[in-house]
Amino acid sequence: MSTVATTTRRPPPWRNVRVLRWVFQAVFLFLVALLLLYLWETATDNLRRLGIRTDFRYLRQPAGFAIPSSDFRSSQSLFDAILVGIQNTAKVALLGIVLATILGVVVGVARLSTNWLVRRAAAAYVETFRNIPVLIIIIFCWLGVFLRLPPIRDATEVLDLVVVSNRGMVVPWFDKVGSGAVFGLVAVAGFVLAAAAWIWRSRRFDRTGQPHRRALWAGGILLAVLAVGFFATGRPWVLETPERGELSTAGGFRLSPEYAALLIGLTVYTASHIAEIVRGSILAVPRGQTEAANAVGLSGLVRLRYVVLPQAFRISIPPVANQYLNLVKNSSLGVAVSYYEVTKITQVSISQAAPAVQAILLLMGVYLVFSLSIAFVTNLFNRRLTLKGR
Amino acid sequence: MRGSRIWRVGLVLAAVALLAAGCFHSDDGEEAGDGAGTGEAEAQGDGGGSLLTQVQDRGTLNCGVNDAVPGFGFQDEAGEFQGFDIDFCRVVAAAILGDAEAVEYRPLTAEQRFTALQAREVDVLIRNTTFTSSRDGTEGARFLYTTFYDGQGMMVRADSGYESLEDMDGETICVLSGTTTELNLESSFQALGVDYEPLAFEDNEPLQEAFIQERCGAWTSDKSQLAGVRSNFPEDQGGPESLVILDETMSKEPLGPVVRDGDDDWADAVNWAIIATVQAEEFEITSENIDEMLESDNPEIQRFLGQPVEGEAFDSGLGLPPDFAEQVVRQVGNYGEIYERNVGETSPLELPRDFNALWTDGGLHQAPPYR
Repeated sequence: MSTVATTTRRPPPWRNVRVLRWVFQAVFLFLVALLLLYLWETATDNLRRLGIRTDFRYLRQPAGFAIPSSDFRSSQSLFDAILVGIQNTAKVALLGIVLATILGVVVGVARLSTNWLVRRAAAAYVETFRNIPVLIIIIFCWLGVFLRLPPIRDATEVLDLVVVSNRGMVVPWFDKVGSGAVFGLVAVAGFVLAAAAWIWRSRRFDRTGQPHRRALWAGGILLAVLAVGFFATGRPWVLETPERGELSTAGGFRLSPEYAALLIGLTVYTASHIAEIVRGSILAVPRGQTEAANAVGLSGLVRLRYVVLPQAFRISIPPVANQYLNLVKNSSLGVAVSYYEVTKITQVSISQAAPAVQAILLLMGVYLVFSLSIAFVTNLFNRRLTLKGR
Repeated sequence: MRGSRIWRVGLVLAAVALLAAGCFHSDDGEEAGDGAGTGEAEAQGDGGGSLLTQVQDRGTLNCGVNDAVPGFGFQDEAGEFQGFDIDFCRVVAAAILGDAEAVEYRPLTAEQRFTALQAREVDVLIRNTTFTSSRDGTEGARFLYTTFYDGQGMMVRADSGYESLEDMDGETICVLSGTTTELNLESSFQALGVDYEPLAFEDNEPLQEAFIQERCGAWTSDKSQLAGVRSNFPEDQGGPESLVILDETMSKEPLGPVVRDGDDDWADAVNWAIIATVQAEEFEITSENIDEMLESDNPEIQRFLGQPVEGEAFDSGLGLPPDFAEQVVRQVGNYGEIYERNVGETSPLELPRDFNALWTDGGLHQAPPYR
């Protein structure tokens, strides 16, 4: 009788494992919070004792310093300066991620090539760049490559289109002369039409099995709309070729040596890691898949595109996402070549009397947001692509 | 059953105790915060009284310096620190510890320096640091006697054809980041309405490389630093003669030693140790004639050198040994000697005394009286 009672009655809370677990978690959380509070209090007390401010109001003060290659004026606030830094970090990190992915996939596939030369060259690339600190690569690119370009008075001009000197490479770029707002609306309409065409062709393909050619349709429609819109709105942009001056170049888009060195350094370094991940992922695709593709008579490229890479892609997403995070964090090495990304601007503002503790906290927050955003996007991809229900 | 209840009570008690500890802690914090406003003992932290006694107990002085500016703070071929600022580190050590060599040099970049000072990594910062209101106000720094009156200048290649800042429209200008120079550059060029592009580096080495490769066509810094760089410019790049420093002065840059706020005993001791070099030059006491000067009839000199006047050595109450001025002059020299040795007309920098002469010679240096 008594045994029956104990099995049906719930145990008292202090012996209930589920309750105890919660209690322990709560106590642990409380202790951690207490520790953090203690550290924060100690830090602020000591700072206050030294007469150093502990708030974030300094962000409203005028920056006072200039930032190259930007519209930033020194009378703008430190907050604006940090925003410019975030933009610059994004500029180098996002383009770096795209380029490193392309280069990494190419090299990773090349490492598995049946061609001896291609295979060995790819292996040499990976082993070289994977084993050199990225800082050294960046500094080498800057000191050894871009600064060695001719000085501005001897700048090289290629076909009157590109001006190359150690003050940057300038390429023709669109210069805005009219209002772009109307054209922007036209462009949005073009994208909507293209997407609609894509969906229509896909559905038709599903129904009838006739070739869909949706990329051709969507791309064609988009291009046509953009072209008509461009001329109809009175050509809001013109292509401007760089004009070489005595000390600098006017017009065109300028790729500064510092930006180029950082971008190339981050790209080649991260690509060497991505290449290894791609190689490993391809090898992890069961051999039977390749053999089956061969058996149905698919050619090498088609086999890669439709059978091997999609499966390898799925395996490689989490480790490649890690490399993306590394690339973003490594972009802080732009400090070494005077590229004004967010770390550089934080450092400068600290030495121009911004309080160090708050400025570094803010900097950590910025990188955290960058990293979490990338992790969020790659996790979305990962969730969509993982095999479901098998 | 009873055991469990005790357990639960214990848990609650522990939580209450922790909570209480947390509250008490923040009470402590506030008290200390209030104390900083009124009492000084609290403010000195570390529990060991003033930094003055801590340094005396430790036996060495941690001095934050520059290691990349010839004439002011640099390492020679043997790895020894040399220069004008370095000599003032030695002055402080000689006065407080009686030994000019008892210095630990901590090379710092412009961007690190205030953080290192706040973090107690260095006792005193003597690293061509400009005295400004915002640094005094927000960096927890206290600026002492100005050892060098400087101004910001612009260095260009002699063959560039530049004669003034107005000629430099569109030029790229190299500058050290985290300096007042960086801010003055922006305000001067804005005022002139001249377009330029700044290129800011943390260290002098990459900056010099960028300048040599003509990534930038001009280099701006304090004139004294530019003179130092110019004197050391590599011969294969044309040597010092290939560079000129434009006459224009873009700002005033009073450079001096810095200590942390809130430790007045330490600040006073360092300050008077440094002023002793100027007073020694006013009295014409040098490291060479110090022995004769100890026998001087002049009671002012006697008092300054800590010799007994009417049976008792003068004690200013600064906490310095009575013979600190004697040690400073004997081991390092007076202000004029330090200046000439490191940056003066006989040194590679060839800087004239100008503002840095004694007040009696039309300069700005005047020692408050030692009495």
